[in-house]
Amino acid sequence: MAGSTPDADRLRERLAAQNSAYAPWRNRDACRDALAHSGLPHMRSEAWRHTNVARWYAAALAHEAPSPARRSEVAAPSSIAVAEFSAPCAASLAGGNLGAAVDLAEHPLAAVNGLLLDAGVVVHVPAQRHAEPVRIGCLGGAFQHVLVQVEAAAELVLIEEPSAFTHRIVEVIVGAGAKVHHLRRQAVGDQRECSLVAVRVRDGGEYALAQVSRGADLRRNDVVVTLAEGARSTVTGAWRLDGRGHLDNQVALNHDGRGAFSRQTYRGVADGRARAVVNGRIHIAAGADGSDAALSAKNLIASDAAQVFAKPELEINASDVKCSHGATVGALDDDAVSYLRCRGIGEAEARRLLVRGFLREAIADEEGARMISLAA
Amino acid sequence: MSLLRVDELRVDVEDKPILKGLSLEVASGEVHAVMGPNGSGKSTLANVLAGRPGYVVTGGAMTFADADIDPLPPEERAHLGLFLAFQYPVEIPGVSNMEFLKAAADARAKYHGEEPPAAVDFMKRTRTVAASLGLSADFLRRGVNEGFSGGEKKRNEILQMLLLAPRLAVLDETDSGLDIDALKVVADGINAFRAADNAVLLVTHYQRLLNHVVPDRVHVLSEGRIVRSGDRSLALELEEKGYGWLDA
Repeated sequence: MAGSTPDADRLRERLAAQNSAYAPWRNRDACRDALAHSGLPHMRSEAWRHTNVARWYAAALAHEAPSPARRSEVAAPSSIAVAEFSAPCAASLAGGNLGAAVDLAEHPLAAVNGLLLDAGVVVHVPAQRHAEPVRIGCLGGAFQHVLVQVEAAAELVLIEEPSAFTHRIVEVIVGAGAKVHHLRRQAVGDQRECSLVAVRVRDGGEYALAQVSRGADLRRNDVVVTLAEGARSTVTGAWRLDGRGHLDNQVALNHDGRGAFSRQTYRGVADGRARAVVNGRIHIAAGADGSDAALSAKNLIASDAAQVFAKPELEINASDVKCSHGATVGALDDDAVSYLRCRGIGEAEARRLLVRGFLREAIADEEGARMISLAA
Repeated sequence: MSLLRVDELRVDVEDKPILKGLSLEVASGEVHAVMGPNGSGKSTLANVLAGRPGYVVTGGAMTFADADIDPLPPEERAHLGLFLAFQYPVEIPGVSNMEFLKAAADARAKYHGEEPPAAVDFMKRTRTVAASLGLSADFLRRGVNEGFSGGEKKRNEILQMLLLAPRLAVLDETDSGLDIDALKVVADGINAFRAADNAVLLVTHYQRLLNHVVPDRVHVLSEGRIVRSGDRSLALELEEKGYGWLDA
């Protein structure tokens, strides 16, 4: 196969032989069909231009034997139902929705996840319920799936703490008129990991994502949000990379219904020999008239050897649409550094303050500022 | 004993000589005004004293508080007590004014081996000083100079001066672009700052600020050198005659 590597071949063999007993209600046939149809992505796949997916295959193979079952660290208030996939009630709690928001043809690694799945949690928030935050920490496996179902008019704050995985799917179903605020913090590390956040927002629902990321040896985040009529979404990302850190953010906002609203805002800084990819996509489907979408990506390059690839994409198939996008790559403002130094703030501290301030432009609320302070 | 001594200073900007042998002495307790037409080198003098990049000293010396400051980075000059109020204060979105002021106060405390000021006390004091300049608490929460009007930016410079309490404040055209009310507020701030153990160097094009802040000495800068020095009456003479007579 074109672009195939020994690791990809070995992974393919392993997937063919895979017969996991974990969460047997997970629909593996769909995963097999998707992989048989689209195959594993390789370096020449457009979606993987700047991230060497073969290096992730090596990491995926390193988890040959499922890790011994550890308890998952999920903290939730008692008013919310939470179950590990291994629990007897998990299948009924998931209600046949596991994987419903995931487009396996578009995301073949999610199919790999489905076949190798060894950790999962389902979270269910009943209609009208406004509960305390749910925190997702370490889950007891390498291939993880978190299914979050928020019923109509309920509200949830979902917090993903830094934790290890090889692949993680976070699937969120936001019911009509419901609100989900999803906070993700990704710590610096030397792991190779990919994740997919797949979100469906039903009529009039709201989904907000604030993601603060540091670099890893390989870190890839795919985010896909699909909006029904009158639904709203703000996706914000702040990242800071140094050393040889790698971060690939791929975000797609799909306006499927009329009058939906979305905002994407990214701010990132690459230092050292780091490499960052920021692809933001807005897709307005036929009939999604009256959509309002905007995307802003600003990136700073703080060293000669750092690289940033930023690409906004628009696809509009409807009428009466408000849509804007902008992406910039620049350097830290020397005048601002000079101003701070003239007030007695040393150069390193001045740069740190400016970077933090720049990142906060993406996520201005209190929680976002706290996450950025932890990361930058 | 002079606090600032500038001897035969020569400075290039973008390989062009701007200061061509400027000498000046300022003692503690004094207010000096440096006046001159556009392009005479006023702002270059202010910026080179503060150590801003792009100003290349090619000759002469700058001594501040008994230290040769030419080799010192801007932050160290600030720690020695040299303050520059910028002609064009820089906007820094995302960094709140209060955070910036605290970072500056902390950096100075660290340099002098002192404990950083307690956050609550510092904030209280900052709010009081800001209020005296007609700047609300909301103004301290906003990004540094972000979306501030021209007058607010200049008042913010004066706020920083009052909080950092330098030994020498160099004010680079702090009066430009101010309406008469803002000019009065800024002048009151400078007068409140004046003390026997500090000094002020006012760099200005116009004499109107000097109606409110009375200088001990006035210097006229032309072609990169001080061509005349005198008392306050020199400023009034300039106001009357303009700068044209310098060329005569």
